[in-house]
Amino acid sequence: MAELESPGVMPKLIAFLSSLLERVAESNDLTRRVTTQSQRVSVFHGLSRPTITIQSYLERIFKYANCSPSCFVVAYVYLDRFTHRQPSLPINSFNVHRLLITSVMVSAKFLDDLYYNNAYYAKVGGISTKEMNLLELDFLFGLGFDLNVTPNTFHAYFSYLQKEMTLLQPLSLVVAPPRSVSAFNEDEASHQKQQLAV
Amino acid sequence: MEKYEKLEKVGEGTYGKVYKAKDKETGQLVALKKTRLEMDEEGVPPTALREVSLLQMLSHSLYVVRLLCVEHVENKHGKPLLYLVFEYLETDLKKFIDSHRKGPNPRPLDTTLIRSFLYQLCKGVAHCHGHGVLHRDLKPQNLLVDKEKGILKIADLGLGRAFTVPLKSYTHEIVTLWYRAPEVLLGSTHYSTAVDMWSVGCIFAEMVRRQALFPGDSEFQQLLHIFRDMHNPGNKVYLWGGEWIAGKPTEKMWPGVGSLRDWHVYPQWEPQNLQRAVPSLGPDGLDLLSKMLKYDPAERISAKEALDHPFFDSLDKSQF
Ligand SMILES: Nc1ncnc2c1ncn2[C@@H]1O[C@H](COP(=O)(O)OP(=O)(O)OP(=O)(O)O)[C@@H](O)[C@H]1O
Repeated sequence: MAELESPGVMPKLIAFLSSLLERVAESNDLTRRVTTQSQRVSVFHGLSRPTITIQSYLERIFKYANCSPSCFVVAYVYLDRFTHRQPSLPINSFNVHRLLITSVMVSAKFLDDLYYNNAYYAKVGGISTKEMNLLELDFLFGLGFDLNVTPNTFHAYFSYLQKEMTLLQPLSLVVAPPRSVSAFNEDEASHQKQQLAV
Repeated sequence: MEKYEKLEKVGEGTYGKVYKAKDKETGQLVALKKTRLEMDEEGVPPTALREVSLLQMLSHSLYVVRLLCVEHVENKHGKPLLYLVFEYLETDLKKFIDSHRKGPNPRPLDTTLIRSFLYQLCKGVAHCHGHGVLHRDLKPQNLLVDKEKGILKIADLGLGRAFTVPLKSYTHEIVTLWYRAPEVLLGSTHYSTAVDMWSVGCIFAEMVRRQALFPGDSEFQQLLHIFRDMHNPGNKVYLWGGEWIAGKPTEKMWPGVGSLRDWHVYPQWEPQNLQRAVPSLGPDGLDLLSKMLKYDPAERISAKEALDHPFFDSLDKSQF
């Protein structure tokens, strides 16, 4: 897909995916506090809430994993499948980081011919290799090894992301700018800042 | 894993052994493919991960080996293991061809059987391609055979790859050399379904000849075999801007073509007629084979088209 390869698209996609996951995690955190039961604690559940933001974490993965851009869309498909198959394991702020690194790693392993090994992803993700391996197995069995993504599914998810990204764009700025060159530049600049923050 | 009684080892793969075993309860024979996971750095081997997920999608076809389940267990030392449980088939096409070449009763494979096996192989490949999967490692060892029933099934999808989402370039370290397509041998990294059809052509010829068609022992030797043995007059193909085209390229089309390292070596050979390589094959068979072995991947026959080829006209297709 040319759109994924074109410059500027990936940082936007990463930013959007992060904000999406953040919202999901926060809302599930709340439900969890209210219900306190029925949510299973899994290997994905960290003992404490990781201090790194979802966005910085995902940017870090993007920077070091060096996988096909498609892998991020596919990782999102996997997370969606996982939560549907494992309703007792909703995404929350304690497990979202581990789910993210695992889903990107698995999609790269499935899709790409050249990819980094688990030990490398463990380093990128700030966890031990042993834990990475456990997460991988749990993720695969949790997904029922349902890793294949048809072109239709891929395009459905990708165009959803694209649509939401463009909808969200004006909201994320203080004032909705007129569509002009300078607004575009501003946008670029803010992304550069985000990257420096990694 | 107590469910199964291991009977004997039937094969050995990169990541572990393959056993014949019996389901204690039902008596059903199964093949257990053991996958070690102790290689810490790597985690679940990518071949196992791909094989399981691709087979889940493809196993519904009669012409693809059926994956029954995946078991995650610990061995006696507490190390994790994955067992892939498959339906059991008694032999593979390599052993089957060998038994016709060597042993007490060497004889050609029955023509009707070759026709039927090739048809089933094309059915299986068409099924994979229809689901967006390249097999990339088709060879006689990876085709399982039930002699009594005359059934052939595609196995070992460990090198398989989904080709339907946009990806970075492909590896050219695929397919055992003898069955590797020329575009892959020449370093193309954006190949497609035609690479599997080249392998099918090589397997077809091997069933007829009872020995490999292009048995090279290095990439260079492999290309020599292909260029020397193939009869393809006026249809030599050249790499042109990453694309394959037919016809002899001129300096204008491709500056410097004459000075390319390997190319000037090849056309020196008098091309051999393909019929000499497979003399016992009739005209229909020869026509199908030459379409499977077209240099230009775009011209190579697809699995689906092959099913309608006149070579299969005499086959009773109602059984498939
Ligand atoms: N379902 C089965 N029934 C009977 N025998 C089988 C079955 N699956 C595999 N085998 C035997 O085991 C051998 C190795 O299996 P397979 O090719 O799937 O393993 P692999 O690890 O991918 O091997 P390689 O790395 O050599 O390709 C096969 O050639 C075949 O003889």
